[in-house]
Amino acid sequence: MLLGLVRPDAGTATINGRPYRDTEEPLHKVGAVLEASSFHPGRTARNHLRVQAMVGQADPSRIDDVLDLVELTGAADRRIGGFSLGMRQRLGLATALLTDPELLILDEPANGLDPEGVRWLRDLLRGLAADGATVLVSSHMLAEVAQTVDAVVILDHGRLITQSSLAELTAGGTVGLEEAFLGLTRDSRQEVPR
Amino acid sequence: MIRLIGVELLKLRTTRLTYGLLATAATLTGAFAVIEAARAGSGGGPAPLSTASGLNDVITAGIWALVLATVMGVTISSGEFRHGTATLTYLATPHRGRVLTAKAVAGACAGAVFGLAGYIVALGVGLSFVAARGYHVAIGDATLVRYAIGHIVGTALLAAIGVGVGSLVRSQLAGVIGVFAWTIVIESILGGLFTSIRPYLPYTAASTLSGTSPGGSAFGPAHGLAGPSPLPFAAAAALLAGLAIVFCVVAARTTVARDVT
Repeated sequence: MLLGLVRPDAGTATINGRPYRDTEEPLHKVGAVLEASSFHPGRTARNHLRVQAMVGQADPSRIDDVLDLVELTGAADRRIGGFSLGMRQRLGLATALLTDPELLILDEPANGLDPEGVRWLRDLLRGLAADGATVLVSSHMLAEVAQTVDAVVILDHGRLITQSSLAELTAGGTVGLEEAFLGLTRDSRQEVPR
Repeated sequence: MIRLIGVELLKLRTTRLTYGLLATAATLTGAFAVIEAARAGSGGGPAPLSTASGLNDVITAGIWALVLATVMGVTISSGEFRHGTATLTYLATPHRGRVLTAKAVAGACAGAVFGLAGYIVALGVGLSFVAARGYHVAIGDATLVRYAIGHIVGTALLAAIGVGVGSLVRSQLAGVIGVFAWTIVIESILGGLFTSIRPYLPYTAASTLSGTSPGGSAFGPAHGLAGPSPLPFAAAAALLAGLAIVFCVVAARTTVARDVT
């Protein structure tokens, strides 16, 4: 809904005050990684990025940069159909980063990554945030999230349960994020019988 | 818009399916042209190659470029849903109507390439047989050029119609089967039963742009059946362009506006 792919029944979603649909040069504002599978399997990784660079008006020299960043340089000229889930995740990130967006929206970005990849992703996201980008991650993997994020928004059955800093939610680290989540969602479900 | 059309053309150039369809169009055209040319002038076969009608029958083999250009058009739009790439496409260009317009134009450009390739193969086979048998070319240069233009316009517009159809059905398999069923079966039956509507059937109209008689592009018993004279060039081209616009506008108002998940 935030990205204009699904129409909400009610309400609006805006980024920097504007609906995504009305954003000029949207790929320079927002980079999104939503589904690991949304690539043409017959296209090579490099050609996929060529298409994206053209549509997003990115400098073609960025293609090698992002391939290098996500460690896919060696697989650049292979067809995406033969890629593992982890490689697709990396290519998705490369696609989003190609246009150097101010905001990154990632849905379960650690899916399919090996432990080394998870560590790599964590460092990458922290690095991007340190460079001034905003990174929005949606995930069910709370232990992983707790190691990466500054602020937390908890949604349950489409309702906002809470929004606060990680430190506040975990009482300075004395309560785990998972426990905090389970406690909050249990309370909210008791309030509103379903 | 120019950039979006360029993007769609780059997508086409970076997938093997496009080249596979083009090769299939050229191969089928060549095979049917050779069969027609070899049979020309024999008992029960087409008219001799020394006549305009005989040479025209060989050029008619280019109809395979019409069929496969339409299939290519269908894959341009339905492929986005088959492979889940519509998400990325709409993230880059949230105005979906512009994406569809770019696809229709890119499809028409690629379709023109199919038409040119098919015509070159069919005419090449025809002229080779004419030369080998020592005949004079019975169709004038100006007419051959007019047929070439007609063939290119026909494949381009059918490919654009294919883009609209693919956007409407969204299923690549159903769209591709639909194209073959329509061109090979349904138009042949409709055109055979109701000859008066024959010139208005889209695939038949496209084939008449390149000098094929309305029955010349039909399959089965309706093949070669004498029918009404074809639509004038401009009318046939306008009919096809109108259909492409109708399919794309209906798709833009319905299926294209749907949620992408």
